[in-house]
Amino acid sequence: MILNTDSMKPLYVQIAEWLEAEILNENIKKEERIYSQYQLAEMFTINPATAAKGLNILADEAIVYKKRGLGMFVAPNAKAFILARRRGPVLGQMIKELVTEANRLDVSESELYRMIQQVRKESEEDQ
Amino acid sequence: MSVIQGVDLTKAYGKLKAIDHLSFEIEENKITGLIGRNGSGKTTLLKMIAGYLKPTSGELKAFSEKPFNSLNVSANLMFIDDTMTFPDSLPLIDILNEVAPFYAHWNSSLASGLFDYYSFNPNQPHSNLSKGSKSIFNSILGIASRSPLTLLDEPTTGMDSAVRKDFYRALLKDYLEYPRTIILSSHLLSELEGILEDILLINQGTKLLHLPVLELKELAVGLRGNAQTVLSFVDGKEIIYQEEFAKGSLYVVIRRELIQQRLEQIRQNGIDVLPVATDDLCVYLTTKTKGGIDDVFKRS
Repeated sequence: MILNTDSMKPLYVQIAEWLEAEILNENIKKEERIYSQYQLAEMFTINPATAAKGLNILADEAIVYKKRGLGMFVAPNAKAFILARRRGPVLGQMIKELVTEANRLDVSESELYRMIQQVRKESEEDQ
Repeated sequence: MSVIQGVDLTKAYGKLKAIDHLSFEIEENKITGLIGRNGSGKTTLLKMIAGYLKPTSGELKAFSEKPFNSLNVSANLMFIDDTMTFPDSLPLIDILNEVAPFYAHWNSSLASGLFDYYSFNPNQPHSNLSKGSKSIFNSILGIASRSPLTLLDEPTTGMDSAVRKDFYRALLKDYLEYPRTIILSSHLLSELEGILEDILLINQGTKLLHLPVLELKELAVGLRGNAQTVLSFVDGKEIIYQEEFAKGSLYVVIRRELIQQRLEQIRQNGIDVLPVATDDLCVYLTTKTKGGIDDVFKRS
């Protein structure tokens, strides 16, 4: 597994996002044990302290929880929680950037709506 | 617990202070990157820790002992650099076999595994190896010794990029299996930083930074955009690096904490807020002149 070392995102954030993706597509199901910091360190060739910080992001948001002596497990509502958060602040931030860029390019509000509708239509046709 | 402590450590070669009143501690079972420009004192520091050189003044302890002339330190320590020489009467395979008894934790199956993986000729003398192959062979000694304190001075010199990746992975895998204190000095911070926990950045023999890599990554931000707008935000603040990359456009690197609260406002003013790569940041922090190589050409 390769991480993008040139990315804007720190490695531990990439680890957290990769784990979230694994939970979202149910490669790791709820109540299942998630990778340990040492497994992640081995998989991604990163320092275990970096891997631990990635796991801690998920633990802080209660996406995973600790069972004493057994490791970290996926919380029952993890998937719903990740979806809700990505819809909220994450998507919100992307929209903010989109609007800033649109303003810079003199794209009007209605034009922007039309472009979004166009992309949505195309992606529906693809499916 | 710390394995190495340096207090006010100085090493002078005549008038030149290679290490200049350096105080630091290296914690047990961490991988630390020793980073610095050419001639910044990395090798001198490692050689003092290894007991090859005696400090001019100040105090240095490894495993709570002065390393110079200490059998205990040298029994628990492996120092690898590219000037290691071995007698020509010993072919490679004999070197592997003969060093083993000196290292209590020597892993001979790992040593022979790596030796075979890199397809070394067992009967070749060490002095005939190419620069890169020498580094590979020496790094096998460094990893397989499993010394509680492993010092690797520019271990990847001459290695091609595929071999370097293998080396980082081998080192990390064996570290996970058998944690120990490792100090690596290198210029190639960007490809190395993934496996590091801490970074010790030195310049002209003094310590600039010693902190977890994760914190170094977030220490500074780059602001890029209209020169006047950028300057209005950083006015009066300490600037780490500044470059006018096009007429009227400025790139400025500044400590994140100085402008953390205004980042959103800065973005809204059309300024790009960019993360600063750790190796770039280390270069900026250790540059003697503000303008860099371009200044040399401006003068002529």
